[in-house]
Amino acid sequence: MSASARKVDPARIEIRDVTKRFGSFTAVDRVTLTVEPGEFLTLLGPSGCGKTTLLRMLSGFETPTEGTIHIGSEDVTHLPPYRRNVNQVFQSYALFPHLSVHENVAFGLRMKKLERDEIDRRVAEVMQLVALQGFEQRRPHELSGGQRQRVALARAIVPEPEVLLLDEPLSALDAKLRRAMQIELKRLQRQLGLTTVFVTHDQEEALTLSDRIAVMNAGRIEQLGTASFVYHQPSTPFVADFLGEANLLQAEIVGREGEAARVRTQQGWELTIAAPENLNGAKRVVISIRPEKVLVSKQRIEAGNVFPARVAEELFQGATDRLTLQTSGGVKLTAIVANESAIREAIHEGDEVFCGLHEDDLVVVRADE
Amino acid sequence: MKTLHRILALVALLGALVGTLRAANKELNLFAWSEYIPQEVIDGFTKETGVKVNYETFASGEEMLSKMLAGGTAYDIIQPPDYVAEALIRASLLAPIDYAKLSNFKNILPEFLKMPHDPTQEYTVPYMTGTVGIVVNTEKVKEPIHGFKDVFTPAHANRIVVVNDNREIVSWALQTLGIEANDLTPENLEKAKPVLAEWVKLIKVYDSDSPKTALLNGEVDLGVVWSGEAALLYKENPKFQYVLPVEGAHQFVDLLAIPQQSKNRLAAHQFIDYILRPEVSKKISEAFPYTNPNGEARKLLTDAERGNPASYPPVGKLGTFRHIGKISQAIDALMTDLKNAR
Amino acid sequence: MRPTSRSFSSRRAGLRAWLLLLPMLVWLAAFVVVPMGILLVYSFCQRDDLGRVVFVFSWENYARVFDPTYLAIFGRSVAYAAVTTVICVAAGYPVGYYIARRSEKRRNQLLLLVMIPFWTSFLVRTYAWITILKNDGLLNGMLQYTKLISAPLDIMYTPAAVIIGLVYAYLPFMILPIYSSAEKLDNALVEAAYDLGAGPVRSFAEVIVPLTWPGIAAGMLLVFVPAIGMFAITDLMGGARVPMIGNVIQNQFFQARNWPFGAALGVVFTLLFAVSYALLQRRRVWEEE
Repeated sequence: MSASARKVDPARIEIRDVTKRFGSFTAVDRVTLTVEPGEFLTLLGPSGCGKTTLLRMLSGFETPTEGTIHIGSEDVTHLPPYRRNVNQVFQSYALFPHLSVHENVAFGLRMKKLERDEIDRRVAEVMQLVALQGFEQRRPHELSGGQRQRVALARAIVPEPEVLLLDEPLSALDAKLRRAMQIELKRLQRQLGLTTVFVTHDQEEALTLSDRIAVMNAGRIEQLGTASFVYHQPSTPFVADFLGEANLLQAEIVGREGEAARVRTQQGWELTIAAPENLNGAKRVVISIRPEKVLVSKQRIEAGNVFPARVAEELFQGATDRLTLQTSGGVKLTAIVANESAIREAIHEGDEVFCGLHEDDLVVVRADE
Repeated sequence: MKTLHRILALVALLGALVGTLRAANKELNLFAWSEYIPQEVIDGFTKETGVKVNYETFASGEEMLSKMLAGGTAYDIIQPPDYVAEALIRASLLAPIDYAKLSNFKNILPEFLKMPHDPTQEYTVPYMTGTVGIVVNTEKVKEPIHGFKDVFTPAHANRIVVVNDNREIVSWALQTLGIEANDLTPENLEKAKPVLAEWVKLIKVYDSDSPKTALLNGEVDLGVVWSGEAALLYKENPKFQYVLPVEGAHQFVDLLAIPQQSKNRLAAHQFIDYILRPEVSKKISEAFPYTNPNGEARKLLTDAERGNPASYPPVGKLGTFRHIGKISQAIDALMTDLKNAR
Repeated sequence: MRPTSRSFSSRRAGLRAWLLLLPMLVWLAAFVVVPMGILLVYSFCQRDDLGRVVFVFSWENYARVFDPTYLAIFGRSVAYAAVTTVICVAAGYPVGYYIARRSEKRRNQLLLLVMIPFWTSFLVRTYAWITILKNDGLLNGMLQYTKLISAPLDIMYTPAAVIIGLVYAYLPFMILPIYSSAEKLDNALVEAAYDLGAGPVRSFAEVIVPLTWPGIAAGMLLVFVPAIGMFAITDLMGGARVPMIGNVIQNQFFQARNWPFGAALGVVFTLLFAVSYALLQRRRVWEEE
């Protein structure tokens, strides 16, 4: 099953104005989204945000209340799951407990009524791909969590679907195994060039794996973009807060200086920020700054905005230190600094420090008239 | 194992204790036919004497005998049919009755005294008597029916209900052959076999508990049933005519008797005497219109009740059943075999 | 068995387990082992004139059990029970599965409906069926009223009536274990089957049935075994025309007064089931290995 041997090309998914209501509850609210062929797209959001419902409409387990879904050139809106050339890896893996690993993986091929030889050949190939040779005759309950995950993945990719759907497939694994599987999953997806839609509530996983991330909240897509873009330029306070960590500051615009703007926070702190186009006419804004972008030093530092502060709390986190800074204006900021104690001057609870914020790192996530 | 023994002993002790308590509690253990003693009569007795009656039922004389022999409950009154009473008397399982305590015993008509099952009249009191005869739905069956030979003809295939009692059925076949109903020998069974083989093909329902049901529901048009059932059918609709078979009819007498195990013989005598009262006996006749052996009670019945041909049939050729021994198992094997061969 | 490390307390735990089991063991001894023992002893005895058991050794009862008549009756009983079981599976599976897939509240309501018949005496319910099936009963009345048939169907006192009665009596014993199996079935497995291209029929045959098989097997056992020995229904609805093994055994106790022969029939009957059940179990163990 090398990429060149694939008979089915990855397909484009077009979700147009899709709404799904359960009774009076709207799970998915007028979502429009295109997934490019071969793209790894992640639906990220807290539980209840509609990401799983959206995925289930792609697999066919739910039918949209309104709107249409196209996979490739075909309108699949009302097509049952067993007529779609789409395969899914389930959260609990959903391996058939009464079948051996081989029979599990062969299931989809058997349903396609392929020849026995062909089935055996393709199962052998995919078992090699997921490094599970020799486990063919085991039952699922005789496998470890990681092995089960790989069987589930093998079972989903062996029928050569146009689209691969992943429903939090790594959430049942421990942290270390999860990281290893992330890398493997990404490698496989690249190698096979599969259009992949991945559902998770784990932002780190989303950032690692995705070509693009769709952050969902309350049935809608809040922001769609590459991992790096969404991380660095969150468009709403929700995205800033959900994806990574953010210091959110409410402020008022007090003046403009070309490409920059002066704002005053509620606590009376004045900052200079890079002013994007959309700030025209705005009076009140919410500003986000990532904790790792907050510079901390006992010496005076070079930055657009520099303030004296006191370290109110220090938490040792292994590779990093997490500091809670209390500025003179009463603003609390969280900073994450690399833990390089050998080179860096030691900063401890109670120390008086300077904190610096670059203008470009202060992102406006909300602007009101 | 020791523990187990102890536990079993404890269980047995508890059982005995409960038994004693019950007897001391003025209770009467009655073991009688199902649907044969009106609840009203039992309630009346309890109201009058304060003795609580535990009414356990059986559906055949053999069932009663089996349970009696198995032990278990110490019954105070049983209601055996004549031939079962005969067996019980022979096996010394019945206590003699003190007729002096039964002020109403004089009401029993003389023809029901000193019958073959209790020739010296020491152990039993007649409760009800009856016959086993033919019921004909005269709306459906136009040809005259006089005996078993007229019932069991191919024209009546799948239109017959009979009591589910192998000895009864075999005795009818014997009688059509001119053999006495109690003459149950292997040779005679062999003679009856071909007759029964034909009959079994014609019978639609075997039912001892309520053979009238199939007749009332119109499932069958002919029956060989207990006379009490026939009387109820006649009461329902006079189209159901009762015929005593010319070959000879089985007359049965159901009795009241006190087993040896009885722990409450005083109350048992009280109960029997209560049953013998004309006004009580009349209530029984009203509910279950068999032939009442109580002459005084008969006088209290209405003309219609006395005129019911199934309850009080014209005199015919009657005979009672006698106790039979191991041949019962040959009868059972014969009938099972024939039913199976169908 | 998974290898487990035996700790020093496991012996004490074992003792405690036995103590906790004691009431059940006593119950089993008193109501299963002892009666079976009595039955076994009786089966080698003879009877006296009255029908009392005489403790004189005899093989005769067992010789009679294997008489062709009784073997034929046994075969017929098995056949009726088998037909009943098949119909119960066919009718009970959809019901049990359907109930298991409802919301919890609705599930409890539906289960209650399944169990309500148990509140009424079995005999009363059987008589109700007679009212429905008799010549001028509800069913014939309805069919004739709707002009589907011109003459009433003869159902009562036929094998069909016996089967209807048996299916009615034992259907809940099929529905309940199937329900309990289906309730445990992870819906994701059914979805996985759909997802891999199995339509409703193949999903049912290849995933749902194998995974609910324990419930089906339990239901089959719960229906098949008692249906073989049932005698009340064959008497009431079949008119006692064709003897079943249950009737034959019952007759030995209540009509023929031949307890030893009844006991021998009972012993053979029980052994037959014990052996077939053991074989079934062994096959399952073998399949799992």
